[in-house]
Amino acid sequence: MSDETKPELTSSLLYLDGVSVSFDGYKALRGLSLALEPGEMRAIIGPNGAGKTTMMDVITGKTRPDEGEVYFEGRHDLTRLDEAEIAELGVGRKFQKPTVFENHTVNDNLLLAAKAPRSVFATLFGGAAAVERETIERILTTTRLTDQRGRLAGALSHGQKQWLEIGMLLAQDPKLLLVDEPVAGMTDAETAATAELLREIARNHSVVVVEHDMAFVRELGVKVTVLHEGSVLAEGSLDQVSADERVIEVYLGR
Amino acid sequence: MMPLPRLDRLGVAFLIITIGAAALAPILALVVPHDSAFAMPPYVVALLGKYMCYAILAVALDLVWGYCGILSLGHSAFFALGGYAMGMYLMRQIGARGVYANPVLPDFMVFLNWKELPVAWWGFHSFAYASLMVMLVPGLLAFAFGWFAFRSRVTGVYLSIITQAMTYALKLAFFRNDFGFGGNNGLTDFKDILGFNVQSDATRAALFSLSALALALSYLISRAIVVSKYGKAVIAIRDAESRVRFLGYRVENYKLFIFVVSAVMAGVAGALYVPQVGIINPSEFDPGNSIEAVIWVAVGGRGTLVGAALGAVAVNFAKTYFTGVFPEYWLYALGGLFVLVTLFLPKGLIGLLNLRRPARPTPPTPTPTPSLAQQEEGAR
Amino acid sequence: MPLARLVAVLFFLCCTTVARADAVDDALAKFFDDKFPRTEQAINELAATGAANAPAILDALGDNRLLIDQADHIIVYKTTGDDLINAKTGEKLDGVDAGAFKKVRINNALRSAIEAAMGALTLANPDPQKRAGAAEAVFETRDASALKALEAQLSHESDPHVAELLRQARAAIVVLDSKTPTADRVAAVATLKARGDQDSQSLIDQVANQSDDPAVKAAALDAKAAIKAHLAWLSVLQNLIYGISAASVLLLAAIGLAITFGVMGVINMAHGEMVMLGAYTTFVVQSALPPSLLQWSLAVALPLAFLVSAIVGVAIERLVIRFLYGRPLETLLATWGVSLILQQAVRSLFGANNRQVSAPNFMSGSFDWAGLQITTGRLWIVALAILVFVALQLALRATPFGLRMRAVTQNRRMAAAMGISTGRIDMLAFALGSGVAGVAGVALSQIDNVSPNLGQGYIIDSFMVVVLGGVGNLWGTLLGATVLGVANKLLEPVIGAVLGKILLLVFIILFIQKRPRGLFALKGRAVEA
Repeated sequence: MSDETKPELTSSLLYLDGVSVSFDGYKALRGLSLALEPGEMRAIIGPNGAGKTTMMDVITGKTRPDEGEVYFEGRHDLTRLDEAEIAELGVGRKFQKPTVFENHTVNDNLLLAAKAPRSVFATLFGGAAAVERETIERILTTTRLTDQRGRLAGALSHGQKQWLEIGMLLAQDPKLLLVDEPVAGMTDAETAATAELLREIARNHSVVVVEHDMAFVRELGVKVTVLHEGSVLAEGSLDQVSADERVIEVYLGR
Repeated sequence: MMPLPRLDRLGVAFLIITIGAAALAPILALVVPHDSAFAMPPYVVALLGKYMCYAILAVALDLVWGYCGILSLGHSAFFALGGYAMGMYLMRQIGARGVYANPVLPDFMVFLNWKELPVAWWGFHSFAYASLMVMLVPGLLAFAFGWFAFRSRVTGVYLSIITQAMTYALKLAFFRNDFGFGGNNGLTDFKDILGFNVQSDATRAALFSLSALALALSYLISRAIVVSKYGKAVIAIRDAESRVRFLGYRVENYKLFIFVVSAVMAGVAGALYVPQVGIINPSEFDPGNSIEAVIWVAVGGRGTLVGAALGAVAVNFAKTYFTGVFPEYWLYALGGLFVLVTLFLPKGLIGLLNLRRPARPTPPTPTPTPSLAQQEEGAR
Repeated sequence: MPLARLVAVLFFLCCTTVARADAVDDALAKFFDDKFPRTEQAINELAATGAANAPAILDALGDNRLLIDQADHIIVYKTTGDDLINAKTGEKLDGVDAGAFKKVRINNALRSAIEAAMGALTLANPDPQKRAGAAEAVFETRDASALKALEAQLSHESDPHVAELLRQARAAIVVLDSKTPTADRVAAVATLKARGDQDSQSLIDQVANQSDDPAVKAAALDAKAAIKAHLAWLSVLQNLIYGISAASVLLLAAIGLAITFGVMGVINMAHGEMVMLGAYTTFVVQSALPPSLLQWSLAVALPLAFLVSAIVGVAIERLVIRFLYGRPLETLLATWGVSLILQQAVRSLFGANNRQVSAPNFMSGSFDWAGLQITTGRLWIVALAILVFVALQLALRATPFGLRMRAVTQNRRMAAAMGISTGRIDMLAFALGSGVAGVAGVALSQIDNVSPNLGQGYIIDSFMVVVLGGVGNLWGTLLGATVLGVANKLLEPVIGAVLGKILLLVFIILFIQKRPRGLFALKGRAVEA
């Protein structure tokens, strides 16, 4: 509550400064700093172990940083909130491995994700409001899952699960979307369609995409941040960072 | 209020049977002549009444285990606490008719040379107060316990073990004389309930009918919960807890609510059980009882509610039969049941029914919960 | 008692020469007068000789069995078997009519004289252990009449331990005697203070309350505080010892569980029954071995119990648990079923009653160490627990199997990808964990009832140890067992056993808030599905 009245410390939507995390002596993040403007879409790339997933964990409250600041909308200190609170603020996350509720139908998956009161009382006594039903219809169309709405999510194909999960993110209607390797295991056609979907989403959301697939990142055509050994190595357009000697060294070896 | 839940065919059949039994039993036990083939002898009434209570306990357990993935080994404690609350009312009803003829103190207190009624016993002369405690005590324990456990994200086998330890600690406490609940012997020698003789055929028949109705009501409440959006969220928590958290649901509150509802239900089952069996003692707390109740649910089919009740009746019928005919083999049979059901019948008896007519599948396929070793994946 | 004493005396009569025969003769001669004052002299002189047959004679006198023939000047005593023994020579007299003798009369005053003399005699006994016992007896009764004998013995006591006890006994007498000089009494207080046990405490209390001598009173008050502190400290230490003993039992029972839980992430509810099988193996071994080999029964039972439990454990893993991989809660249920079957099987085979397992001599009894009670059997169990812990650490740290097992514990999929046969590791881990439980059963057969329910009593506590200690590191198990065992025993005298257990449970629940995966949990970036 009091967060709302606090003056904004920064105009950035997401602001990380000097964030460090270590696991039993292993430093997963070392002084990572990153700022994301409202409405911006950002691609994060980096070799394995660069700290991409740990960064997502810190932003979504799964991991507490040992030091550093993490602010959302310039006034919410994310290091002091848990996953549910951060999600309620408007941070949505899509996992690397598609995680949908396999024993629920596609429709129910979206219903659970849809922006609506999350209290026990509300879900126990309230049915699906008309607004929610409308949202769900819209998202089913966007993600091309209308025909599958009555099927159990567990019965969907891999690509459909990825899309359902993106659909769930949309239903959540977050201010910031964190998307972890959205095209892993997709066919080329699916990859292209996903890129298009993400660009569409980026029109009215801020998005952070973590990805290995360079072709996909090029297709997104957005600012790129390169992580290496837990901190930022380079930042800029894909062409700029690919010309950076340190990046080449990290990616291609000396 | 919550609307009546939509019922499937199985649910309708279940309600017809339980409510029908509740209506029919008094007639068969009291009105039909004793030599008739349809007459229900008193011992059968008592036995079936016991089964009904077990079935309520099973439904309660299915609610948390089948739908929310919480394998509680503490439900025998909630059951026993409800039973003790009822037992305390029944003890105070004995009044001056006890061996020591003390109008206020139950016999065991006179025997221990106590002069005053302990505070915990105050108010239990009132049936209304006792009924409130039947629900409040297990509910509060479940709330306090769940509040700590769920907030600290104790899950899986860790949670099972902690609930088991809680039950064990309570059992030890109730065994002590100075704990004030009759120690080793527990509470017994009940005389009457609401002025009716506990032993009489009419009271027994009434208690059976009440238990059957309570079972129907438990089913309805549970069903309403699991088909609501809340219920969907709970199933989602069972299958992918952290994903639900990232959607912004406060998982601990969701678990806490269903855990408390389930505990209250178990308490009511215990309260109905005690006047029918005529005794409550600390052995009811035994963690083994909790695990046995879990296997009723597993036998019937977890996550189906009806299956849980069915399993409770089936296993207990088998137990009555076995312990009567060849008692030494009962533990082999029960032990074998644990192994065989988990290995070969993951969906229970209801699952067998569904094999024949493929309905919209609700029972959970046992989703591989990642083992601890897996969860530590990526640990460095 | 008199009979036993008599037998002992007869033995001495045969084997030792009668000491200071002349003095004994002189003393005995006084009995012939049969006058109370003379008899008392005789008693005291006889006691002062310290003759080996003096106790028998005095004993007989007290029982009206000392007979004299004033005419023939023979003094005899009658044994309880109605034999007549010549008091002077110790020879048995055959064919003599007891009717010819006259009893030596005694009165109450003489009776107490006899008693004091007997005490004094034992104080002079050649066996230092007997002397120590007598000194302790005097300390407890604070019989002032023994003072002379005490001082006499103290003047030439050679054994320092006995001398100390004699001094303490003397101190116990003089400290309350207001006629004793102040300095002597203060010294006595100091002696009691050094002794520092419960008895000295109550004695010092009396002195502090009664004494009107300010110096003595001050010394007593000072000693009182010192003894109180000493006793409190001692009781904490004693409870600590009980705690360590309890911890060793917990460690033995839990360490196998920690291994299987760590490697496979499943709870084996039949783990307690593996312990029970170990205890029954001990019983079978003891029944099968000839009595002459009883000393070795535990040494034989240890490897056998390991083998029996390991084989049963592997059978459970291969037949049940293997098929429930990835479903830990179902595993819990199935193994609970197995535990019921095992309990009933043992009940069918051996009966429901407790079975007697005896302890070899070297493990029975207890001893006193610096005021602390230590049970030998418990000490051996602590040693066994340490041995098992070290052996397991070595097995996990220094063998290829241990390396693979740790790899599977930390990251099963990665280990499998590197070519480790995880199924084989699971099986071996189960064999190891169950075998260790069997070893625990051998130890538990020494301190607990060997019954089909043996395992049930330990399973919950073992789980608590694992929950507290965390998995993947045996040090966690050690620490968990120590914390729980010691805390339990330290809490027990303060708030009672049950409340202590409940409090510990609450503590564990709160602790899990802070560290959900135990003290030594593996920590890391967990990728959850």
